[in-house]
Amino acid sequence: MSAGAIHDLSSDPRQGERSVDVLIIGSGCAGATAARALARAGREVLVLEEGGDLTGQKLTQRDGRMYDQLYQDRGGRMTSDLTMAVLQGRVLGGSAVINASDVVPLSDEVLRFWQRKHGLTDYSVEHLEPHRHQALADLRATPIPEEQVNRANRLLREGAAKIGAKGEVMLNNRVGCQGLGTCLIGCPIGAKQNPRVVAIPDALAAGATFLCRARAVRIDDASAELKRVSVRVLDANGYHEVGGFTVRARVVIMAASAVNSTQLVLRSGLGNQHAGKHLSLQPQLGIVARFREQVTPFRGIPQAYAVTEGERFDDERGLWGFRVEAIMGTPGIIASLLPRLGAEVMGAMAAYPQLAASLVLVPDEPSGTVGLTKAGRVRIDYEHKDNHKERLREGAKLAARCYLAAGAYEVEVPMHRPVVVTSERDLALIDAIPFEPCTAPLMSAHQQGGLRMAASEAEGACAQNGLLYGTRDVYCFDAALYPSSSSSHTQAPILATASFLSERLLAKG
Amino acid sequence: MDAFSFLRRRTFLKLGIAGLAGLGAAGGALWSMRGQAPAVAGLKVLDGHRFATMKAIAEAQLPLESAAVTSDHLARMFDGFLQGEHDENVADLATALLLVEFGPLIFEGRFVTFSHLALEDRRRHWRGWMESELALRRQVALAFRKFLHVVFFDDPKVWPAIGYPGPSLWGMPAEEPTP
Repeated sequence: MSAGAIHDLSSDPRQGERSVDVLIIGSGCAGATAARALARAGREVLVLEEGGDLTGQKLTQRDGRMYDQLYQDRGGRMTSDLTMAVLQGRVLGGSAVINASDVVPLSDEVLRFWQRKHGLTDYSVEHLEPHRHQALADLRATPIPEEQVNRANRLLREGAAKIGAKGEVMLNNRVGCQGLGTCLIGCPIGAKQNPRVVAIPDALAAGATFLCRARAVRIDDASAELKRVSVRVLDANGYHEVGGFTVRARVVIMAASAVNSTQLVLRSGLGNQHAGKHLSLQPQLGIVARFREQVTPFRGIPQAYAVTEGERFDDERGLWGFRVEAIMGTPGIIASLLPRLGAEVMGAMAAYPQLAASLVLVPDEPSGTVGLTKAGRVRIDYEHKDNHKERLREGAKLAARCYLAAGAYEVEVPMHRPVVVTSERDLALIDAIPFEPCTAPLMSAHQQGGLRMAASEAEGACAQNGLLYGTRDVYCFDAALYPSSSSSHTQAPILATASFLSERLLAKG
Repeated sequence: MDAFSFLRRRTFLKLGIAGLAGLGAAGGALWSMRGQAPAVAGLKVLDGHRFATMKAIAEAQLPLESAAVTSDHLARMFDGFLQGEHDENVADLATALLLVEFGPLIFEGRFVTFSHLALEDRRRHWRGWMESELALRRQVALAFRKFLHVVFFDDPKVWPAIGYPGPSLWGMPAEEPTP
C-alpha cells in the first residue's frame, strides 16, 4: 500500500476527471474517521475539503485572518434573519480545528431516547460502545488538569460553589497544551487531538488522498453504479471558484457538516420531504462579567468549567435544560459581541483583562431548516421557540448569580441595549429580555439534523446506515443524521457514529 | 413583536431601494444631497460614495479620534473584504451602505446624508440603527459593527489600550496583510 497525500488544488485548478471507489466530502470528525476506516480496509479513498490545510505557524492566533480562513463564510455565516451566528469550520480537519476542545460523549440516555422515540433500533448502547470507546481514544480524552483551569474558569466555579450550583471541570482532547488561549482560531502547537492530528495522518498512512480547496457542488446519477460529483476548485484564499472537475465514485459519503451536507443534497435535487428539515442549532448566549481583579482571561484554556445545574434529560424531547460554560476569545471577537459605540467601545474593552465570560447553551428542539438562496448558497432559517428563550433567561440568571457570588461588580447580557446586573435584585431585568431578532449575542456551534435518519423513509431523509433515501450508495455520515441533540458538544458523538457507520458500510461489502 | 420582523433582509433591502427610488422621483434633489463622488484611488469594489459612507460608519462606531487606526484604513479593509465575498453579499452590503447614507432622510425626515452629519449627530443617528425597533435596521448596524470591531481590535496598535499583550507565540507579524 502506498501512502496517500494532501494536495491543495488552488495552485493547479485545471484538473481532469477522476474515478475512485469511495469519495468522501468533508474532512472533519466524520469524514476523516470514515477515510481512515475505509482506507485501512483497503478501499480507494478520495476526500474533498473546501478549506485549506492550516497547521503550525499558518495558525497566526489573529482574529482577522483566522476567522477568514478557518470558518465557513469567513466567520460570517448567520441565520437568515442575522439573529444567530452559525460557527462552522472550513479547514482540513473540520470544525474540530476551531472548537473549544470539549469532550462530552454520546450518552446512554441519548441512544436509548433515539431508539425509543425515533425507532433507531440499530443505535443500541451495545452496538455503539466500541465506537464511543474509539472516539475517546482518538481524542485522548482526559479531564483538564487543575493547574490548567485558568482564573476566568475558576471564578465561575467559585461562584457556582458559593450558591450551591452543581458543575464540573470538563473532559478535553488536548495533549501538551501550553495555554495559548486561542483554541477558537486553531492551535498552532497541535495540542488539540483533532482529526488533522489523529485520523488524517492515519488515513494518509493507509493510502487516502485529500484534496483541499475542492468544493463539491452537485451529485448526479445518484441511483447509478457510478455517481458523478461536480467539484469546483477554489483560489488560494478559498474565496472564488477558479476551476472545476468531475469525480466518478461508486460510493459517496457526505461528511461536510449538518448544514453543508444538507445543502449539497438540496443543490443536487436529491432527498425526500425531510431533507433540509429538523435542524437543531443548539443556541448559545454570551454573558460577560467584570471584576476588579486581573483575570487575564485570554491566557489558558478558555473553556474548562461548566455549571451543569440546569442540565437534564426530558423523556419526550431528549437532552434538555441548559449549561453555563466559561469561554473567552481574542479581542476582536469579544469586542464584536459588545453593543457599544464611540468612546464606550474602548471603555468596555479597556476592562478586557478583568473580564470573564460564559455561554449559556440550550439543547433545542430541531426547529430550523436548511434551504438555498437563488444563487444556490446556504440559507438557514430558525424558529427561536419560547422554551429556548426561557431556558436562555434561566441560564443567564444562573451565570449572573455565579459571577456576582464570585465578586463581579457587574454582569452584562450584551443585548442591543445592554442588560447590566449588579446585584441579585437586578435579575428581573434578565427575565424581561424578549429575545427579539437580532438583539442578542446568540451563536450556534453544534448544528445537527437536516438529513435526519429514521427507521423508514416516511420519518426521515436517511436510513440508519446513513444511506440517503432514494439513492444508491450515497451516504451521510455526519451530524446531519441526528434526530435530536446528541450532546452539548458534538465532536465525540460524531467520531463515534462515523466509526459505527464506517464499520457497517464495510460489512456491506 | 417588531411590526416589520416578517420582512427578510433581502426583501427589506429591495423595499428600501424601491422607497429610495420613489423618494428620488418625488424629490429630485435626493441624489444631489450626496454631492460629488469623491475620487478614491485603489478601490477594488466600492465606489467613492460608498467608501465615504463606510468611513463615516467607522467614525461613528469607533473612537477613532484617539486611536492610531484611521477610518480610511478600516474602509479600505472593508473594500478588500468585499473582494473575496460572493456577489450576493456584495450586492446586499452595497445596498445597506446606500440605505445608511440616506438614513437621516428615510428615518428622520432630514435633508442631509449620513456622511455629512457632524460626528456627534452621526453617532446619535447610528445608535438609532443599533437600537431600532425595526429588526432590519439592527441587522445592518450589527453587520457593520461586527466587521469593524474585529478589524479594529485585531490591530496591534490598539492592544496596549486594552491591556492585551498579543498572541503568546513567536513574533507575530506587526500588521495583517491588506487584502
